[in-house]
Amino acid sequence: MEFFRKTLDPVLALAAIAVLDIFLFLVVGAWTVGGGETMMTGLIAEVFLGDELMRIPFWNLVFPPQVDYWKIYISLGMFFGAFVGAVLSKEFYWRMPRHASEWLLITIGGLLMGVGIRLAFVCNVSTFFGLSAEMNLGGYLAISGIFAGAWVGSLIYKRILEA
Amino acid sequence: MSTVAECLVAFVFGSVVGLLVQRSRFCNTAALRDAIMFKTYRNTKALLVAMMILTIGFTAFMTVGAGHPLEFDVGLNTFAGLFLFGIGMVLAGACTVSTWVKAGEGNLGAVWALLFTFVGMFLFSLVWGWNYWPPAPSSMTGEPNLPALQLGFANARTLQDKLGIPAIVFGLVQAGVLLAIYRAILRRERAQQAQHERQRAEAVNGQTA
Repeated sequence: MEFFRKTLDPVLALAAIAVLDIFLFLVVGAWTVGGGETMMTGLIAEVFLGDELMRIPFWNLVFPPQVDYWKIYISLGMFFGAFVGAVLSKEFYWRMPRHASEWLLITIGGLLMGVGIRLAFVCNVSTFFGLSAEMNLGGYLAISGIFAGAWVGSLIYKRILEA
Repeated sequence: MSTVAECLVAFVFGSVVGLLVQRSRFCNTAALRDAIMFKTYRNTKALLVAMMILTIGFTAFMTVGAGHPLEFDVGLNTFAGLFLFGIGMVLAGACTVSTWVKAGEGNLGAVWALLFTFVGMFLFSLVWGWNYWPPAPSSMTGEPNLPALQLGFANARTLQDKLGIPAIVFGLVQAGVLLAIYRAILRRERAQQAQHERQRAEAVNGQTA
């Protein structure tokens, strides 16, 4: 099938996602990822800590863990859809960064993303595909923040590449 | 809609998104990083097109009170959080979407990034209890709360309610601005293309001279 042989134009792909996102907005809410990831964090922590987790105010007051939180399933769906796409296009294979420095950058990057999402209550998806499109004041604050951060991140990345 | 149905709709939506992102190699990180570092705009254009469609679609439905807009107060934490996120996504080479998509393609580095996103969230949850900032959504009022460095809540619908101008009007203005940025990128790409062709022609002339 042609769809699994050629790379799809990202403009077409994102236009289709945008139309579907409008549908999702009408049914439950706009596309988002950070909320589902936070709930997954809480559920994983609950497995290790049990009822002790509720002694941490954040999980008691802001995000009491619940399995039937719809945002979790967007993330799981993205993983599943990408897996199916990769297998059918013969692009699935195990790969991993080769250098310790790459693992370090990914570790720091992952930590910053996690902290950033919780500080802002939104991730990059809600910034561009939710808040900004709803013309929420937070969208403009978030876009300014992510541009400034990406610029600083690019400077750091350039330094590392040149070193 | 029941919670099970909500989860099912979310899963179907996510699956289609995962498939389309995997097949198109779209990356939100690249949309910003490549524009900043390499002056290439393959992903930036896709991001802008999606934002134009969404702005018109969301504000049209918000005009008639339909849909489920995000509702919470924003402020310094919104800027600061996305600033940290922006650094993190460039260092990790992936955002929240591409970590899931790359993980689905068998990329263990992306799984590691996801794992540490979870760790970062958990660490933040431990620190949050010290000063309860930013405020929990249950204590947000929608109004500016300067001691908490929060500006309150405002979107196209609240503008409509305050000014009496339909939300879609604001949406069309924003879509127009996004279109202007999109067209500026197209012009820049054409200029880059013309410059490449000139340089190639000069190189060929230099060889034959």
